[in-house]
Amino acid sequence: MIHAHNLSKEYSDLRRGKLVALASVNFSAEAGEIFGLLGPNGAGKTTALRIISTVLRPTGGTVTVNGYDVVTQPSEVRHQIGFVSANTGVYDRMTAWEEVEYFGRLYGIVQPRLRARMEYLFDRLQMNDIRDLLGAKMSTGMKQKVSIARALVHDPPVLIFDEATSGLDVLVARALLQTVAELRQYGKCIVFSTHIMREAEKLCDHIAIVHRGHILTSGRLDELREVHGEQDLEELFFRLISEHDAAHRRPVLI
Amino acid sequence: MKWSNVKLIFLREVRDQLRDRRTLFMIAVLPVVLYPLLGMSMFQVAQFVREQPTKVLVVGRWRLPNSPELFENGRFSARWFGDQAASELLAVEFVSERDLAPDEERDADRWRSAIDLGRCDAVLYVPPDFGERLEELRIAVRDIRPEDSEAARDIQVPAPQVFYSTATEKSQLAMRRVGQAVSRWSEEVGRENLALGHLPQNSAEPFKVSEHDTATTGHRDAALWSKVLPFMLLIWALTGAFYPAIDLCAGEKERGTLETLLSSPAERIEIVWGKLLTVMLFSTATAVLNLVSLGATGAIVLRQLPRLGPPPALAPLWLLIALVPVAALFSALCLAIAAFARSTKEGQYYLMPLVLVTLPLVMIPMAPGGELTLGNSLIPVTGIVLLLRAMLEGNYAQALLYGPPVGLVTLGCCLLAIRWAVDQFNSEGVLFRESERFDLRLWLRQLLHDRESTPTVAGAVFCGVLILMLRFFMGFALPQPDTFFDLARVTLVSQLAVVATPALLMTIMLSRSPTKTLLLCPPVAGSLMAALVSLPAAVLLAAAVYPTLSWLGVIVQQLYPLSPQLKELLTRIFHERPELWKTLLIMAVVPAVCEELAFRGFILSGLRRMGHKWRAIIVSSLFFAVTHLIFQQSILTFLVGIVIGYVAVQSGSLLPCVLYHITHNSITILMSNVQSATLREHPVLRLLVRELPDEGGLVCTWSAVAVGGIVAIAILLWFRRLPSAMSPEEALQEAIAQHAEHAPTYP
Repeated sequence: MIHAHNLSKEYSDLRRGKLVALASVNFSAEAGEIFGLLGPNGAGKTTALRIISTVLRPTGGTVTVNGYDVVTQPSEVRHQIGFVSANTGVYDRMTAWEEVEYFGRLYGIVQPRLRARMEYLFDRLQMNDIRDLLGAKMSTGMKQKVSIARALVHDPPVLIFDEATSGLDVLVARALLQTVAELRQYGKCIVFSTHIMREAEKLCDHIAIVHRGHILTSGRLDELREVHGEQDLEELFFRLISEHDAAHRRPVLI
Repeated sequence: MKWSNVKLIFLREVRDQLRDRRTLFMIAVLPVVLYPLLGMSMFQVAQFVREQPTKVLVVGRWRLPNSPELFENGRFSARWFGDQAASELLAVEFVSERDLAPDEERDADRWRSAIDLGRCDAVLYVPPDFGERLEELRIAVRDIRPEDSEAARDIQVPAPQVFYSTATEKSQLAMRRVGQAVSRWSEEVGRENLALGHLPQNSAEPFKVSEHDTATTGHRDAALWSKVLPFMLLIWALTGAFYPAIDLCAGEKERGTLETLLSSPAERIEIVWGKLLTVMLFSTATAVLNLVSLGATGAIVLRQLPRLGPPPALAPLWLLIALVPVAALFSALCLAIAAFARSTKEGQYYLMPLVLVTLPLVMIPMAPGGELTLGNSLIPVTGIVLLLRAMLEGNYAQALLYGPPVGLVTLGCCLLAIRWAVDQFNSEGVLFRESERFDLRLWLRQLLHDRESTPTVAGAVFCGVLILMLRFFMGFALPQPDTFFDLARVTLVSQLAVVATPALLMTIMLSRSPTKTLLLCPPVAGSLMAALVSLPAAVLLAAAVYPTLSWLGVIVQQLYPLSPQLKELLTRIFHERPELWKTLLIMAVVPAVCEELAFRGFILSGLRRMGHKWRAIIVSSLFFAVTHLIFQQSILTFLVGIVIGYVAVQSGSLLPCVLYHITHNSITILMSNVQSATLREHPVLRLLVRELPDEGGLVCTWSAVAVGGIVAIAILLWFRRLPSAMSPEEALQEAIAQHAEHAPTYP
């Protein structure tokens, strides 16, 4: 479904000059599995996901989503994905229903199919009580529900969750993780970025630990435990990051 | 581009804006409330000014004659004002004779301080002997005989003086009232004197010039409205575009909704068009509502002003027609600028310069010389204002004549502004710009460390701006050339120090490969034959394009004539020249090498990293044109820059460009060397050039233009077939374009 090959991204920063956000990373995510990008803040997770969703353009390497190239076929790629991020907001002056409908129509879904799909999503995500609520009056949890409904409205084969539980209370975060797990059952390819070990441990089929633009290790959780001889994911995470920083004494700018 | 997506985005944005109280206030509430409030305030202020009492100190009342009486009952007589109420608004305080020291009465400082301290608003000072001299005059008028001497006739009456202060409105009002009363009183004295001398009343002023205004009331009103309405239209169209543009771009960034929209299937161009149409709608609505409100308020105010009638009946139609391109232009500009801002606050900072640039363009037509000519019609915004003015004044023939150029210029500006807005939405650096603390040392270190084989777009733009600024300031630093030798010295210094040196230094500092950056390689890599042909082809191309340029030069001269001072200076400079080879070396070879290194070398190489070769050629040509500083020259230089830029891109070498440039400059110098006598002696030369009948000077013949045009097209087609090397960014854009052609469609 998603294949990144030698994916690189460099930024130019007025203060620090050129920054390497991603340094030739390779990963793949398949249908019916959750691929976790696990890394501290500033590791390059959001950059990778923004490239997959065609919002950013890579400076090197290739990424294909369901066979479409993110650079040369961005329009096709955008039809394949649904994007949920803690950074994205909802429109303050639109109701939940209007917002999901707007994106559904942008995806080219016509009535009455769109209405049926929205009814299903609003039931499924328990959003009927906020149907006519303006974005400005929604809580963080409500906004996140709208974001998920917005990403699912066109029933894409690929879903991207970027730090989606960030800022949510325990109950809402738990509900969101349940939704993600259920989406896997529908055969979706899910990329889930987080810096919370427990979430990755519970949810992800495949995990890639990202740090300073590099993938330090990747594989199924049991494989990682076996290869690195470490049962606790958190301990494994700290060990890999420490080893990487020790090996690269000259700090890599990210 | 899918128009269904554009419509969807447009409708969402409109609904969003209509739910925003700030926008509604700006477009609907403010216009409805503003003008009635302004009108009411104006009336009240006028009323206040009319009814404001003032006080005058009168010094020397005892020196006034008893008849006619200037004062009655301790006030100015009502007959000098026309009504009692006006007289009562001017309170009078008389300074008695005993309060006046003999040596103080001429002391202006005393009256000034009385006004400054607020004791009075004005002082009327009647000089000593005023009454006596006036009486002497009366007697002389009555008794004078033809045989009396000139001295007996020459009786000078000392003038009364009014002291007042222009620093306060109240003092000026008092001055106007005193002036009116004294003036009418003086006229009455004159009339009495004429009666005493048994002279007709019209002896002093035997006739008055009779004025006849040929303008009809309608024309007079149209002339006034044609100044007010276009100004209001443009200002409100700009203001109406201002706030929605900030909210739709910077506001979306702040709220975090832009990223979601960018990851949706809507293309960037669709997003821009959707937002642009929204901003246009609100810009139009703001302008219309303001004009309607202004009209309604004006209709009430105008009843109080009998001299001013309503605007022409067709005014709403012309204003609406003009509003569409005006709103489109301002909306696109506001959108592009607002897209750059990180927050709404920052957006307001960025849009202020737009207002400062637009205001002078709106004000130019208000100046006395601001008429609709071909030259003025080509100035963006100014052309629209002038065209609208002509329509409102009923000069339809003139408007029809200059409508096409105004329309073309406005359309061109609109397209450029829209293109700019789309580019802003395509730029990651713009969309995801974060707040950065600037560290010069680290930045410079990174700049040198991370340089690539060719400079960045920012580096190229910086080089262009630097050259432009250096040339501008060098114009002040170096003495203005008076002779050809001065000009040669200035040219050498400016070309070497201002054009070539920055480009070479920046090439060394900001690029890894000077050879690639400055195109210092043989032309047409991989084909020796094509390389050899490209050099004479460039020379021939310059010669073939020149006849067309010579005619364009004539047209530019007619549109924008050189000032007489500049003409005289150029004639003086080129009057005495050294040998031809020296002239060619200094005026053709040196500029060709230096300017090509800078504009087709460093700047074009950097700009090509935008990914669009034509855009790079046009922008580099703009820099090339603007640095020539003389506007008339810049227009032609821009066109030459585009041709040489194309040659540079297609050949991949600077050598054909330098040869083209040398050839072009050399032909210009040789043409200016040809005298009328030479032309008469050489019939072959007459096939190529001829003298201009009115202006003097030479221009190529039409046959030369036709032959040159055909040859130029043939050579350009040959250059087009060359296997030109694309920059990585251009290759990427081409790949995207190719995929877009074969993209599947989604339901």
